[in-house]
Amino acid sequence: MIEKAKLVKIVGAKNVISEPVTLLEYAEDMSFVNTVKPDYVVRPGGMDDVKKLVKLASETLTPLVPVSSGPPHFKGDTVPSAGGAVIVDLSGMKKIIRVDRMNRVAMFEPGVTFGELIPAVEKEGLRLNMPLLPRKTKSVAGSMLEREPVVMPKYHWDIADPLSCVEVIFGTGDMFRTGAAAGPGTIEEQWAAGGAQKEAAGPSSASWYRVIQGAQGTMGIVTWASARCEIIPRLEDPFFIGSSDLDKIMEVVHWLVRLRLVNECFVVNGSNLAAIMAKRWPGDYRNIRDNLPPWILFFNIVGYEYLTEERVNWQTKDVMDIAQRVGLELTQAMDKVSAFDLLKAVQRPSGEPYWKLRYKGGCHDIFFVTSFDKLPGQISVMYDAAREAGYEVADMGVYIQPIVQGANYHCEFNLYYDPDNQRESDRVRELSTGAVRQLIDRGAFFSRPYGESTGMIMNRDAATVAALHKVKSILDPVNIMNPGKLCF
Amino acid sequence: MALEDYRNDMETCRRCSACKFIPLEKVKGFQLVNVCPSISRYNFHTYSAGGRLVNGVALLENRISFSDKFLEVMYNCQMCGACDVSCKYAMDMEVMEPIYETRIKCVEEGHTNPVLDKVINSLRKQGTMVPGARAKRGDWAAGLDVKDCTREKVDVIYHVGCLTSYDKDMRKVARAIVKLLKKAGVDFGIAGNNESCCGGRAYQMGYKADFLNQARKNMEAIKKSGAKTLVTGCADGYQAFKVLYDKFDLKGSLEVLHITEYLDRLIKEGKLKPTGKVKMNVTYHDPCYLGRLGEPYIHWQGKEIPGHIRVFDPPKEFRRGTKGVYQPPRDVLESIPGVNLAEMDRIKEYAWCCGAGGGVNESNPEFSRWTADERIKEAEATGAEALVTACPWCEKNFSDAVKTSGSRLRVYDVVELLEKAI
Amino acid sequence: MTLTRDFYRALEGIVGPENVSEDPVVTESYSFPIRKATMPDTNVYMPRFEAVTLPGSTGEVQAIVKLCNRNKVQYKASSTGWLYCDPVGPNCIKLDLRRMNRILEINEKGMYAAVEPYVIGAQLQAECMKRGFTCNLAGAGANCSALPLAAHAGLGHLSQSGSYSERNQLALEWVTGDGDIIGFGTLGSLGEWFCGDGPGPSLRGIIRGNTQPLGGLGVFTKAAVKLYHWPGPAAFPMEGICPQYVHPEIPSGFMIRYLSFPDIDALVEAVRRVGEAEIGFELMGFNAAMMASNIATDNDEDLAYLKQFTDHIQGPGFLLIIAANSPRDFEYKSRALQQIMEETGAWSLKDVEDPVIGAGFMWRFIRVTGSIRETSRATGWGGGTVGGTDVFPLMTRYILHTSDLKQDLIDRKLIMDDGIYPFIQSIEHGHAGHGEILIRYNPAGPDHIRNVQGMLTREANRTAIQGRFGVPHHTYSDALHDMYGPEACNYHLLLRKIKKNFDPSGSSEASLYITAKE
Repeated sequence: MIEKAKLVKIVGAKNVISEPVTLLEYAEDMSFVNTVKPDYVVRPGGMDDVKKLVKLASETLTPLVPVSSGPPHFKGDTVPSAGGAVIVDLSGMKKIIRVDRMNRVAMFEPGVTFGELIPAVEKEGLRLNMPLLPRKTKSVAGSMLEREPVVMPKYHWDIADPLSCVEVIFGTGDMFRTGAAAGPGTIEEQWAAGGAQKEAAGPSSASWYRVIQGAQGTMGIVTWASARCEIIPRLEDPFFIGSSDLDKIMEVVHWLVRLRLVNECFVVNGSNLAAIMAKRWPGDYRNIRDNLPPWILFFNIVGYEYLTEERVNWQTKDVMDIAQRVGLELTQAMDKVSAFDLLKAVQRPSGEPYWKLRYKGGCHDIFFVTSFDKLPGQISVMYDAAREAGYEVADMGVYIQPIVQGANYHCEFNLYYDPDNQRESDRVRELSTGAVRQLIDRGAFFSRPYGESTGMIMNRDAATVAALHKVKSILDPVNIMNPGKLCF
Repeated sequence: MALEDYRNDMETCRRCSACKFIPLEKVKGFQLVNVCPSISRYNFHTYSAGGRLVNGVALLENRISFSDKFLEVMYNCQMCGACDVSCKYAMDMEVMEPIYETRIKCVEEGHTNPVLDKVINSLRKQGTMVPGARAKRGDWAAGLDVKDCTREKVDVIYHVGCLTSYDKDMRKVARAIVKLLKKAGVDFGIAGNNESCCGGRAYQMGYKADFLNQARKNMEAIKKSGAKTLVTGCADGYQAFKVLYDKFDLKGSLEVLHITEYLDRLIKEGKLKPTGKVKMNVTYHDPCYLGRLGEPYIHWQGKEIPGHIRVFDPPKEFRRGTKGVYQPPRDVLESIPGVNLAEMDRIKEYAWCCGAGGGVNESNPEFSRWTADERIKEAEATGAEALVTACPWCEKNFSDAVKTSGSRLRVYDVVELLEKAI
Repeated sequence: MTLTRDFYRALEGIVGPENVSEDPVVTESYSFPIRKATMPDTNVYMPRFEAVTLPGSTGEVQAIVKLCNRNKVQYKASSTGWLYCDPVGPNCIKLDLRRMNRILEINEKGMYAAVEPYVIGAQLQAECMKRGFTCNLAGAGANCSALPLAAHAGLGHLSQSGSYSERNQLALEWVTGDGDIIGFGTLGSLGEWFCGDGPGPSLRGIIRGNTQPLGGLGVFTKAAVKLYHWPGPAAFPMEGICPQYVHPEIPSGFMIRYLSFPDIDALVEAVRRVGEAEIGFELMGFNAAMMASNIATDNDEDLAYLKQFTDHIQGPGFLLIIAANSPRDFEYKSRALQQIMEETGAWSLKDVEDPVIGAGFMWRFIRVTGSIRETSRATGWGGGTVGGTDVFPLMTRYILHTSDLKQDLIDRKLIMDDGIYPFIQSIEHGHAGHGEILIRYNPAGPDHIRNVQGMLTREANRTAIQGRFGVPHHTYSDALHDMYGPEACNYHLLLRKIKKNFDPSGSSEASLYITAKE
């Protein structure tokens, strides 16, 4: 066990917590992973603190679990998998370091949430490519490091976007800056020269940010991140297209993204749209859900500086033409739901309580990356599995997000349940494990494995696992970084 | 010029691989982008023009020798000129010339292929590049009552060519040409048994002295005949008379036309009227030595101006295949009622070779056949019933390939179809 | 050093005797054609490979790699083999991937294509165009591999709207330096091509950055690449005979302009506006010399166009192609461009506005056929420096530093005077940029090369380090990594660890990557 005094020496006494109540908060989350209590929670103030923590952990072989978002957590990655762990809670590192309008990039510490960063970038006329309604306490850096899908596929060139550079302390204790941030020069010197820590690849013949992303803190601890931003439109015109025919909806999605006609663009089922938009529970929710078509495509047409209205007008017409080809129509309101209200909602983090918890208090997500042609089959599989498990399928949320400019899709099933109801909880847990297996058989790619299914997912690709171990041996040779996650 | 004189050209090669492909602007799909049969068949870069140029310099520097492998690589090339065209899309450098000079150097220094030596022996002894006796060269014309240009003055000499004269399957082309020229009222003659090989193929193989020997003999005979125009149905012959003889200042003012050029002219002048319907879907194969290599020779004397870009004084116009004979054969086909022409993917200046040229037909029949088979597949893909060409070597190679491959394509010369229409 | 007979026989056993050769006639032809007078060291030629192999499958590649590892022989793979693929020492064999030339899949709804290394850009683009797609071709030309991992950087003419190969990469197959086969992303887990990342961290991060290992980290045998919408015809209409191709018209919905600006600041501003308005299909900061090279059909014509264009431009400029998906889209893009031109003081080069000449420019830029002439300028010798990839204004400023050097070299008549404006390009609607100074010269000897290229490289390195311009693309080899590494978080030490872990015997010849030296 690590000596508390040594931790205090690094971060100060008030930033080392050992109270059981607090420790329990980090020992479990809303996923089904085992409860494992950490020994301490420490709150570093900056990179130097983190560096010293890693050095100490390395000397004492103490597992470190980085956490940048506030609770509740959902995926099990912030719960220690090994005993004797120290939680490195970065959620207090809240500096917004720089926002650069000209180069369309922002730089911020890991504790900065969407709610905090959005106003800062908006002041410069910029906006973030955001995930769908992140919770209030969600860290922006954390989201990007998890490769969470974002709602504007047009600006999602690469699965790593919108993350640009990071400053990281590897498990070796070395500080590294990825991409253009590596150097030459300090960050300040780079700024003086006109640099903006925007180019993510490199330096030279490796792109280290890619092995830090998706790593669930197993390679190192990020102490700041930069992210590319987009321009705030001058005019926005959001729309819905609703249908019971998902194939038709997806055909439209393909063309909207392919032709780069829209900004925000995603598909949800009625359950999820109701969950997002309902104000009163449960009446509003059921009312909305039952009056919505099964599938709703949401998209936003925008105009920027040049010929703003003309742009929105012609793009709307072109979108109508596309929709007409499959016999669908655009609308800006569906029953009680206004597209403008949804747009406003998705450009901010979720209000409280977190939208996924409003219905039943708990939600377990099953998500994966898939291809256009495999998606319908996978949705069927999930519905069948849910029915078979006795889950009320009308309650299940579905979220389909085109990503990588339409090269693939994020598909997410939201299983709402009452976490205080053991039967419901067990049912969802069993359904999840079984469904993952079936979905994989139907071509689902669980690129971000969490929780109990991780082993099953990782073990499908022994060669990648072996390679990841080699990478791990470079960046965290003594395996102090969140051991037990992924294949480590 | 000798190989040494092309050193700068060879060293200008940028290793871009353009010589392996059709001009890249023309690529319309995955298939049929290759233009060099040699590297397409043998795959090592060595077999491409780029590889040959590197080795040309290496030879000059004694880094490699005339080994068996060197000769094998060198002779496994149909000398089709496609590499030259593709390279010169972007580059100002000679490609075919140093490749020719490499062969010439090989022969001059005594490194030859025995199979080709045998062919040249036949040339020296019988004046032909195909098996046959001099005394039998004119037998194809028996009963046709054609003027003998060695005895009578004629306006036009019809030079038949070795393969057409001696190959029983090809003689029909000569007879068709005679019929057409007579129909058009052309005052023409043939040399019959006194006709001798143009020497073009000997030049392709590197036997420069033998080529020059033939060229001088032929031009003497032509001068004696008083003819101002020479017409031939063989692409090799065409290129020899038109380009090579000119290159070595032997052509003089002789007008050299391929039979398709001449027939096209006659049709446009109204002297031939194709009226008979020949209902056939065809595709046309551009012979290398009529098309890209049939471009007129450009005489240039000057020097490279030292400097940072390769320019010459006076300015040097490179032959790039732009002015080869592509349209006249097509116009002749178009003039035949009922003939529908569907083009292959690789045509004109970037046509795939028939496989027969450069001595490959003689020294490596398997490679020659392989090359022809590739073209047959390409022709079949057009949906055409017949593959039409304008050179006996092409026609023969395709005919043989069609027989062995079991293809249902028929193979014709342009003149055979025109004959049917007249 | 000759290969042992056992080793050679083993190679024959793997690929077949007809697909391997150690004959000097073959190995000599794989030497880069730089001749003695121009070599920096007058006594040493470019060495030959010990043997050249032509593997036809991933299995054969793996077998060769493992054989090399066991026998301590190095290897270097290449596709079409234009630069960066030569050995620097003995005991190295070549894997010429010419026989691995299949397009494995073009998935229209997934908007990706999966290829083997010897599919060239022209082939892939042509197949894509038939289906309403295009792909970013390597800027070096359509004669180069379509595999996103077979270039130096993989930037191209389409990068404005079609990014570049580091970002377009989906799943891939890699034979590591010691012969393991790893399928990235969905390829490893499902045998599919649509995603190259995961499960967990993305291994794409270790095989390349904004530059690639250039043969020094195993062999990339298959890869999938993103495609982009193509609103144009399945084939570009053209007439004529090479090289006098004539393109009778610009397809409907397309426009091409060459815009020059009063100064670099105006250009940078215009790039920003064009990017933010999202109207550019291609945006390439070619200079007058590169524009001349694109259209010229011989060197004299090249010089004439160079003069003509130089006389008609006011300053640095860029080539812009607009491609609209609908008539309304075209109307918008055209009008937005007009406004941007007025606001930034742009001049439009009249020659490019001509519908027929413009069509020729357009097709050649889209098909990237001008690069051979652009880079070689038909002297056979080129050089210069390349910047890195970073924000557009920074990359522009970096490369402008080196253009001062170019003027000095011109004044001393050491290089051709083809203008000093650099080449710069915009990536992803102005989110990033890249720049290069390209020079043409006919070296009078090795000293000349030292004085020109050596100086440029030294100055470019000094400027990059002292000026804080990032790690440029020409940073490869131990020496350069050792120079830049300490300035950039010691990245070179991590690169060495990648090399050590994935090629423990150092079997992939890594003179253009990094070695694992302790």
